[in-house]
Amino acid sequence: MSILPFAMVAIPASAGVASLLLPSRVGRVLTAIAGVATAICILLVAWATAHGQGRTDALSALFLLPVGIVYGTVGLYTYWYVRAESTGHDERHQREFLALTNAFACAEVIIPMLINLPGAWVALEGTTLIAALLVRMQGTDAALEAAWKYILIASCGLAFGLLGVVILYASAVHALGPSYAPTWSVYLAAAHRLDPNSVRLAFVFSLVGFGTKMGLAPMHTWLPDAHGAGPTTTSAMLSGALLSDALYIILRITSITRAAVGPQLPEHIFFIVGLLSLFLGAFFLLRQRDTKRMLAYSSIEHMGLIACGLGFGAPLAIAGALLHVINHAATKSMAFYGAGRIAHRYRTREIDQVQGAVTVLPISGTLFVIAALALAGLPPFGIFRSELMILAGGLGTSRWVPAVIMIALLVVSFAGLVRLVTGMGAGDAPAVPHGERFGIASLAMVCGLVVVVGLGLFVPASLGTLLTRAADLVFGGAS
Amino acid sequence: MQHTIGLPAAISGTVAMFLILTQLACFRSVVIGELIRLYAVQSFLVAGIAAVVAVTTHAWDLGVLAGVTFLLKVVFLPGYMSSLVRGVSKRVEIPVRINVTLSLMLAAGVTGLAILVAARLTETAGVFLPRADLATALAIIFIGFLLAILRPNALAQVVAFLTIENGLFFGTVTLAPGLPFVIGMLLLVDVLVAVVVFGVLVRVLVDGQNSAAIHPFERLIG
Repeated sequence: MSILPFAMVAIPASAGVASLLLPSRVGRVLTAIAGVATAICILLVAWATAHGQGRTDALSALFLLPVGIVYGTVGLYTYWYVRAESTGHDERHQREFLALTNAFACAEVIIPMLINLPGAWVALEGTTLIAALLVRMQGTDAALEAAWKYILIASCGLAFGLLGVVILYASAVHALGPSYAPTWSVYLAAAHRLDPNSVRLAFVFSLVGFGTKMGLAPMHTWLPDAHGAGPTTTSAMLSGALLSDALYIILRITSITRAAVGPQLPEHIFFIVGLLSLFLGAFFLLRQRDTKRMLAYSSIEHMGLIACGLGFGAPLAIAGALLHVINHAATKSMAFYGAGRIAHRYRTREIDQVQGAVTVLPISGTLFVIAALALAGLPPFGIFRSELMILAGGLGTSRWVPAVIMIALLVVSFAGLVRLVTGMGAGDAPAVPHGERFGIASLAMVCGLVVVVGLGLFVPASLGTLLTRAADLVFGGAS
Repeated sequence: MQHTIGLPAAISGTVAMFLILTQLACFRSVVIGELIRLYAVQSFLVAGIAAVVAVTTHAWDLGVLAGVTFLLKVVFLPGYMSSLVRGVSKRVEIPVRINVTLSLMLAAGVTGLAILVAARLTETAGVFLPRADLATALAIIFIGFLLAILRPNALAQVVAFLTIENGLFFGTVTLAPGLPFVIGMLLLVDVLVAVVVFGVLVRVLVDGQNSAAIHPFERLIG
């Protein structure tokens, strides 16, 4: 088991280097294999952690799962995507794309495994730089604009995150001495001796900084552009895995803050940014004309929902928020793959110009509609379960006002998403080739479907254990 | 490795004042070459303050960090930025969204805000957060944001990002001088990579329109 954490990093890193050096047809195969192999390693680590083995704690193991799900399916989808989108791009471009995709996955795997805060910041900033190059690879003017805005906003936002990290470090100097290892466990052990006001300040700066990367409003402005203009696989990795990585760091700082100064400040701030994100996500989603931007606003809405779950502060709501991270990763990546397939066939991403997708693409089109309905919160999918857990946990704390606002905004986004997506799936298909074979891209979507439906029907015992332990860690700082 | 918190007040105050002045001077400058030189001067000051902390606390690792900072931020990055500028033209005038006087007034306003925030926070936080150092770091970061917003030019925005990073570096050295050496080096490498990535995007932008103006970046809205 001890080799698995090393393998989880070494596999995508090796695939990245090999993809750069070898022909792209080989790189595609390697990327698919690396994605699946890394996903298996992550599943084994999560299973071992749930059974008390290994050195990874429950929160880290839990946040490795969305990365595993997304990278595993991205690897498969990339095999089709690079070949399908190769027209007009040269061999070098494809190699760079494959290398950057694997490097991005490698950085995303590293973040939940790091035990110290400054290191996690560096890795998260690393993902910004790689993702900006990936977004740019689409080659359009919109892609350049999105990449520029992304790197500038995310880097400046992360500056606040680093200031939070520095202030948190300073808050413990009188208790731990001027030079100490800034690990999660060290902070938690010394939580009661940290300077309270410095911790509060550090939390606020960290939430602004890492919240920018998580896509929380009002720091979300980069997200629709980057998700919309980037390659499909990059959009899936940004939405499914990177947002959860940023949340992971926020949760670590939240657990320290709760232990040091109590739950009031984090809960209030989570409510404010959560409800604002839900509001903006739900209403901007209604006016979208571009499929991928629609999914991007859905991401903002779901990040808001997760923040609200953390705002409720009850163990059930926190566990629901954590489960929502996994559900969102699986569902959103599946939806992006479907959107990519539809855009490839229809040669447009305009929602108004896509009709009859279920007829034109019987597998991808149908799976896209299912993924979108799952995102809207319909049963029996996983998102329905986690939303219910968040609400039940919230109502259990008798916080009626935010709970009612949350339900109202969820209804708005539900109505908007269902209206837009049923319009795309149903209706008369235009004059585009009909039909598709079950290929590797479909397989990627089916893998997502298994998770989306599976977690809606039941939560495996090992995952339940991880959720409980991780929620305890956030709630009370216990391991 | 033993460090102590804070600098002797006189040195800290003087350097902090010059750091903020160089940051404010960025608003006075409308030529990109001047902006890069101001960044080099500001970087020299933060490298200097790291060296002073290293000497006063006998921290050899901080001394190495100061040396690397000097080489990277005073020598390499300004040189690299200048090479990007030469790719556009010899003299690049930076467009401004509002006039210089109003920009400076806004910058003075956010500096005041930073001082007020730091004073308010440190009142209750006691000795753990040195007030002047926190105020300086916040002021440099806030003014950097303002610079990025008010100058619609890709190269000016890269300089703004770099000055924000200088504010962070100053904050790290003065508020948490014991932060492990490896982390400090990683931060510097991170800045280097960030500037290279920014450079790649700037080159693509310049190739497309023979200018580093970012007015075409107003298509993706809402």
